[in-house]
Amino acid sequence: MSRTVLICDDALFMRTMVGDILQQAGFEIVGEAETGVQAVEKYRALRPDLVTMDIVMPDMGGIDAVREITKQDPSARILMCSAMGQQALVVEAIQAGAKDFVVKPFQPSRVLEAVTRVLAA
Amino acid sequence: MDQTRYAELFRTEAREHLADIDAALLSFEQSAEPAHVATLFRTMHSIKGMAGAMGYGVVEQVAHALESLLDPLRAGTRHVEPAVLALLFDGSDALRLAIDDVNAGRTDAPHRTVQALLQRLAEPLAPAAPHDLFGCVTAVGPAPVATTSLADASERATRLVAVRLTADCPLKGVRALLVLTRLQAHGAVQAVVPPQSAWQDDQFDGVFSVTLASDVDASAIEASVRAAGDVARVVVRLVEREQNRSATSDDSNQSRGPLRDTLRDPLREQMRTVRIDLRRLDTLLDLVGELVITRDRLLREADTAVEQGASRALARVAHDTARLVSALQDEVLQARMVPLGQVFDRFPRLVRDIARELGKEVHFSTEGREIELDRSLLDAIGDPIMHLLRNALDHGVEDPATRQAAGKPAVGQLVLRAGRDRASVVLQVEDDGGGIDRAAILARAQEQGVVPADVQYLDDDALLTVLAHAGFSTARAVTSISGRGVGVDVVMTRVRSLGGTLEVETLEGEGTVFTLRLPVSLAIMRALLVTVADETYALPAAHVVEVLDFAPGTIVTSLGREWISIRDEQVPVVRLRERFGMPHVDGDGYVAVIEAAGRRTAIVVDTLLAQQDIVVKSLDVARGSAPLFTGATVLGDGTPALIVDVGSLG
Repeated sequence: MSRTVLICDDALFMRTMVGDILQQAGFEIVGEAETGVQAVEKYRALRPDLVTMDIVMPDMGGIDAVREITKQDPSARILMCSAMGQQALVVEAIQAGAKDFVVKPFQPSRVLEAVTRVLAA
Repeated sequence: MDQTRYAELFRTEAREHLADIDAALLSFEQSAEPAHVATLFRTMHSIKGMAGAMGYGVVEQVAHALESLLDPLRAGTRHVEPAVLALLFDGSDALRLAIDDVNAGRTDAPHRTVQALLQRLAEPLAPAAPHDLFGCVTAVGPAPVATTSLADASERATRLVAVRLTADCPLKGVRALLVLTRLQAHGAVQAVVPPQSAWQDDQFDGVFSVTLASDVDASAIEASVRAAGDVARVVVRLVEREQNRSATSDDSNQSRGPLRDTLRDPLREQMRTVRIDLRRLDTLLDLVGELVITRDRLLREADTAVEQGASRALARVAHDTARLVSALQDEVLQARMVPLGQVFDRFPRLVRDIARELGKEVHFSTEGREIELDRSLLDAIGDPIMHLLRNALDHGVEDPATRQAAGKPAVGQLVLRAGRDRASVVLQVEDDGGGIDRAAILARAQEQGVVPADVQYLDDDALLTVLAHAGFSTARAVTSISGRGVGVDVVMTRVRSLGGTLEVETLEGEGTVFTLRLPVSLAIMRALLVTVADETYALPAAHVVEVLDFAPGTIVTSLGREWISIRDEQVPVVRLRERFGMPHVDGDGYVAVIEAAGRRTAIVVDTLLAQQDIVVKSLDVARGSAPLFTGATVLGDGTPALIVDVGSLG
């Protein structure tokens, strides 16, 4: 059974890109969220194996969404998607409960390595 | 004693020391580590000694006063208070002024700022108020040795885990945190070196060690650390009692952790260097340049001679010589390469000061410090980069209140990035500010007659053209920071004169990226030689994508200009004859497709001559003009040729 993923990013471009990378590696994309609020709601409804989370999103950012999700499910596996220069924010996200991170622009191999680590942890 | 030689040495070394001081002060402001105080103290001490030997009294005095200020901090008898920190910052500025003065030959009266500073340093510091001791948690002095509870210590082994992250690991600080999080799951973390506060620093190189009390065995710890990702090397070993030295030792390397050095890249450690006078390197380069021209002539003459019956051995010797000259050329060019870090070092301090003055909050980071560039270019790019950073701080990054109102973090991000792209070095200044207001620039440009009134919208290229227009300024953009307005014209002129190109990308509300492309080396470049109206011109080969026969029938005219179809791509045509004001001739010719600033252009020339290395001589380009040429060269047969500025075509 393939692993399920929820992709959270406000940019369709990024969601498509992450989705393509993961789909090609055999993951099942069960949902997408464009805001932090959606991310929390969809996580609750879908209980995916993995969440990819953008940091800057409208209507509750990625970090608050991580806090909210891990509060409800401490075992949630969340991978942060960060831009260069967001080090401080990624640190905050990790402290909030995210398990790993990847940096844009995405290299498929790096994304898959990070996903493997998150799922193995 | 050769005074000028020593003066030169003083100048170079003092510059390095000042850069170290800036870096240490900035780190010190972040976290009051004893290591930073040690660096500051040592550097001040070196400057004092050098200045004393040179008879530079004022410099010596300032360095001495600062050293005295640092002494109680180093000894741990005084805590760092904001007042002391401010004094250190001002003091380092005064030191720089004093050093600039002596370097410029002014050794008599000290600068007014320097005098004022000396006065301030002479006054006794107010005794530290009790609240300072608590308000400023960052006490300097022996770091408290963390102790675990007895229950922990009795059962568990204390291990030192040293980690080196891979060189290409992004956000090393965060990766280190992930490693630490994993270690915390195995036991009690007793100490972290360098401290976590230093991990977010741009200088953090991904080498750190963690002292861990744990009953998990070493191989399991190692496996767990490796699984955190991007780990190049990990060493786990038991800490023996005698190695557990107290942190009060005077050895400044102590704080780097005992295992740190064993993890260093052995190559870097073995590097041996020697200081060479820059003028020697310049002369060497000039000579190699001449040699390269002679090499090409030798090859041609030898080939001709062989055709006319001379011995084949002559051609072989000529070719061997040519090969050696090429190797020598590579070596000399390599010897002149300097990592960009040397010029990047001065920016964090400048950015901090400007941001403060403007009331902006910004996190500044640099990437690609290891990228190398020819020495002469390195000196020349400092100003343009500074200009772009100033612009980003002044006009890009918004003040904290505006940012928060727009839903962004109060602290802006400013990134200076360097990378290699074929024979070019790419430098980017990126901010996440408000972006350039196209509508406002367009209106202003139309007001000043820079842009025709019927233009509706400025795309990125058009925007840059307007900004780079000499004398163009947005009235409300005049501040004390970038006083003469935007100043992109200055940057553009400088970049063009270096044979580079400038691009801008901006998105309203999201930020702006200025991209600067420069050749790695100025002195010698590969060029395609072409003729136009019987004159020879050089096109930089790095920009030439392909060469085609020119068939006039394949040209179409659309949108008021000519286009040529190359494998289904419409490429704009530039006829050099027309550009140079020569009479138009019908008939055949050649097309050189060039790529500059991300765009392709088909350049029509009369004939193609050859591809060869040329030695670049700079041209003085009048400021603000749109130059067609970036330089000139002298060919093997003695004829001059102009080097076409491919970035200005299209």
